[in-house]
Amino acid sequence: MQLNSDSLPEGCFLNWDRRNSSIRVFRTLVMLASCLGSAVLVRGAPADALFRYATNAYYSGDYAQAAAAFSQAAALKPAAGTLQNLGCAEWERGQTGPAILAWEQALWLNPFLSVVTDNLRFARRTAQLETPNLAWYEVVSSWLPPNWWACVAGVSLWFALGVSTLPGILRWRKAAWQQALAAFGLAIFLLSLPAHLGVNSRARLGFIILKDTPLRLTPTAEAQYITRLPAGEPGRLERWRGGYLLLQTGHATGWVRANEFQLICSSGAEIGHPR
Amino acid sequence: MVESANPKPEGRNSRETRNPKAETRKKAETRNPKSDMAPATQGCLFGNAELFARSRACCTSGVERLSVFGLRISGFFRVSAFGFRVLLIALLLTFVPPPRVPAQPAPVPRTQDPLMQLMLSQPKIDMDSPVVPVATFDPPVVKPGETSIYRVTLNALETAIEWPDKFPTPQQLSCRPSAHGQILSMSGVLLSPRTTFNFRVRPSEAGQFTIPEFSVNVNGKSVTVPAVHLDVGAMVPANVPPMQQLLLDLPADSLFVGQTVSARVLLPGSPGGMVQSLGQVQINGNGFIADQGSAHARIEALALGANRRSVNTFVYELNLTPIATGKLSLFAQGYAVGNRVIGNVIIPGPGGVPGAVPQYTLVDSDPVPLQVRPLPRGSELPGFTGAVGNYSVDPPELTTNIISVGEAVKLKVKIRGDGNLARLVPPPVPQARDWQIFLSPGENTAPQILLAQGFVVFNYILIPLTEKTRNTPVIPFSAFNPDRGAYDDLTVLPLAVTVLPGTVSAADLQAVIQAEKNAGDTEKEPVLSGLALSPGLGGWLVPVQKRVWFPLLHLIPGAALLCLWFWDRRRRFLEQHPEIVLRRQALRALRRKRRALERAVRTRDGNGFADLAVNAMKIAVAPYFPAEPRALVGADVITMLPHVERAGREAEIVRRLFSHTDASRFSAGQVDSAELLNLQPEIETVLDYLEARLCN
Repeated sequence: MQLNSDSLPEGCFLNWDRRNSSIRVFRTLVMLASCLGSAVLVRGAPADALFRYATNAYYSGDYAQAAAAFSQAAALKPAAGTLQNLGCAEWERGQTGPAILAWEQALWLNPFLSVVTDNLRFARRTAQLETPNLAWYEVVSSWLPPNWWACVAGVSLWFALGVSTLPGILRWRKAAWQQALAAFGLAIFLLSLPAHLGVNSRARLGFIILKDTPLRLTPTAEAQYITRLPAGEPGRLERWRGGYLLLQTGHATGWVRANEFQLICSSGAEIGHPR
Repeated sequence: MVESANPKPEGRNSRETRNPKAETRKKAETRNPKSDMAPATQGCLFGNAELFARSRACCTSGVERLSVFGLRISGFFRVSAFGFRVLLIALLLTFVPPPRVPAQPAPVPRTQDPLMQLMLSQPKIDMDSPVVPVATFDPPVVKPGETSIYRVTLNALETAIEWPDKFPTPQQLSCRPSAHGQILSMSGVLLSPRTTFNFRVRPSEAGQFTIPEFSVNVNGKSVTVPAVHLDVGAMVPANVPPMQQLLLDLPADSLFVGQTVSARVLLPGSPGGMVQSLGQVQINGNGFIADQGSAHARIEALALGANRRSVNTFVYELNLTPIATGKLSLFAQGYAVGNRVIGNVIIPGPGGVPGAVPQYTLVDSDPVPLQVRPLPRGSELPGFTGAVGNYSVDPPELTTNIISVGEAVKLKVKIRGDGNLARLVPPPVPQARDWQIFLSPGENTAPQILLAQGFVVFNYILIPLTEKTRNTPVIPFSAFNPDRGAYDDLTVLPLAVTVLPGTVSAADLQAVIQAEKNAGDTEKEPVLSGLALSPGLGGWLVPVQKRVWFPLLHLIPGAALLCLWFWDRRRRFLEQHPEIVLRRQALRALRRKRRALERAVRTRDGNGFADLAVNAMKIAVAPYFPAEPRALVGADVITMLPHVERAGREAEIVRRLFSHTDASRFSAGQVDSAELLNLQPEIETVLDYLEARLCN
């Protein structure tokens, strides 16, 4: 039987066109996803190879090589396990500051790593270093990875808005469970706000990298030294001026060189450029 | 009575008004020298009678006389016209003896700090003598490529010397800093400091090379180090002694971290058999512990050098323990002290130690590389406390094997080995349910004795908590054996015991058990973890909240919700205006019919053309009635045409089309519809009008 346009039901062409466009959109999405996935894989492949190489170097006692390879792997693909191992390698090299920074970054990415918490306790007890003083909202923000808080806040906000508006738009019968879900989403969003504040303030937390870093009174090379900070000492970045950073430490506030301090949320490539 | 006292100070009554003029006196306040002041009133001077009485006791009789003279209560607080009152107060304070106070305890003569006494008893260090630098080459003549020591000695403290980072050297000499140190030697009644800096110099070619004089700051003053020459030639004269150098001898060049080895620092004697001793021996470098407490010295004939000739050698032996992993570099230094010998010296062969004036020469060794490997992780056995070496545990000894509940018994654990026994951490005390266990304090045995006897003893105090137990607890212990490259299980095995019921009450036992349990719950000591097996959870270090695209990302759901809202509003509007929907549907259907109409014209299908044109017209006018398009007739279409056209050509064409369609549908004969195709322009005009009307 030969079909012509008149013999087809009304709207058939339209449906056919819609189906075609849906398939095209789906195909495009699949291609985009595969491109993104392959990009991630291409980016992750050398990082994984570096991770394996660094692990072997660590077990053979070549901690300098291990630290360099773990550092490169972390720069390519920041991951909690890579940073944990980087901290171990740096610690074995006697580099207290980079070790503590790497472990703090590992906890930043994955706060559920109890071994990293133990490592930090061990290192701080051994090196007689202070733990950063966190406000209550910063402690709250450390319960989950920072990016998870962003997801939680975004999803809960739009979930609450969606649940409260969509039934009206879609002419669903209003029900108590919809309001309960909307209230639940809104509550989650409101509860996540302090965590966002904590993430924002913790992003200005960093650690001294070099040993006996002088804390200067003014941001100049000839400045008077207030005190000397040990490697691994925590500090909060207040301001930036030239090549110097104004830090607030547990005891004093002063300036350090940009290469002597690194923020917890900056990679190694961003040393000296904490903004 | 105190209650009768006037509450106003200075004995004024309530009616007494205060006169600002202090020098004037009221008439009523006339002085009566013979009047007796009531004790109560007098007591008001101090607030109560008792205080007053005490004040009287403290004062002299002269004051009493004054009071009976009739002086006013406030007399001594005012300035008299002649200054008498103030004068009296001054006299009173001058001549009245002060109240007795308990005497301060006499200062106890303090005993001087023994350390301070020791320091004071030491001879004074000579800081006043002029600093005289001495620079030498040892040896002064070498062959090209051989090493000579450039040695600068100053009679000053090392901390007082600011040695320059660089000093002038000829290009043909490669100069590398090696040892530096300070020694104090007796010079008369004073201690004379001698600081030496050694540099290893290696000439690349023959010739005479001079390190010119240069300045060094000593105690803030500039001191000139004299120039010194080095002769480099193909032949070295026979009377030139070889370079005095230490040899650092390690039993292996690859160790495990924590593995204690015996390092030997050798100072070969001269070919004539004369041996010098060493003082202030130290091993320089990072990443190891040199246990000076284990050091001992001897003189031994060793086969040294290329020809393996036996040479009497001063041997200084001490334990070395690497504490860092990786490639280490270490070298030894010490002062060759002529005939001064430290400790017991054994001279097995011929040769002697002739007496001479001690000469302190700083000598050092070549750097020795040492590869330190980490202990294998993950295969540690229980009870590992960091012991590295070849250890063994003797069978444990118990003071008695018949004990009562609550009675303490001592368990003696003897550990033998070649490691650093002085630093061996005892096996950790196990947590046992039936025993309370303590580690008894050590016996403070000297490290040298431990090294000599080859074992160390740890004592444990065991207290049984129940009579049901039959064995002493197992004490886990392990050590890493560097020879095997694996951990040795050195667990202290249990011993059979008989526990009798004791006199300890159940409550006491319960308290002890609870205390044991609480002790077991104490916070674990943190240790460095191993490596993660996989990269684990990834992400960005910079949180997404701080990225620019994060707020923009939220525009997507916002826009989606906004679109849905607009869609809902439009839908509600169309629900209230259904004619708009009908018109749009009709317009879409009309356009479809018109496209079919064009195809019918192209195929010269007259009947189809007529049917499509009629259907199109019905569809186009149906929304205005509203009605089903199939229910409409030609008159309905004509009513939708403009008034002027209802009787015109367009109306005629509509009628003709509808009558033709009716004829073709209902008549039995064949209807020729070919000429209708010629009416296409007029039909299109009608359809255009109807479409335009729908669009409006």
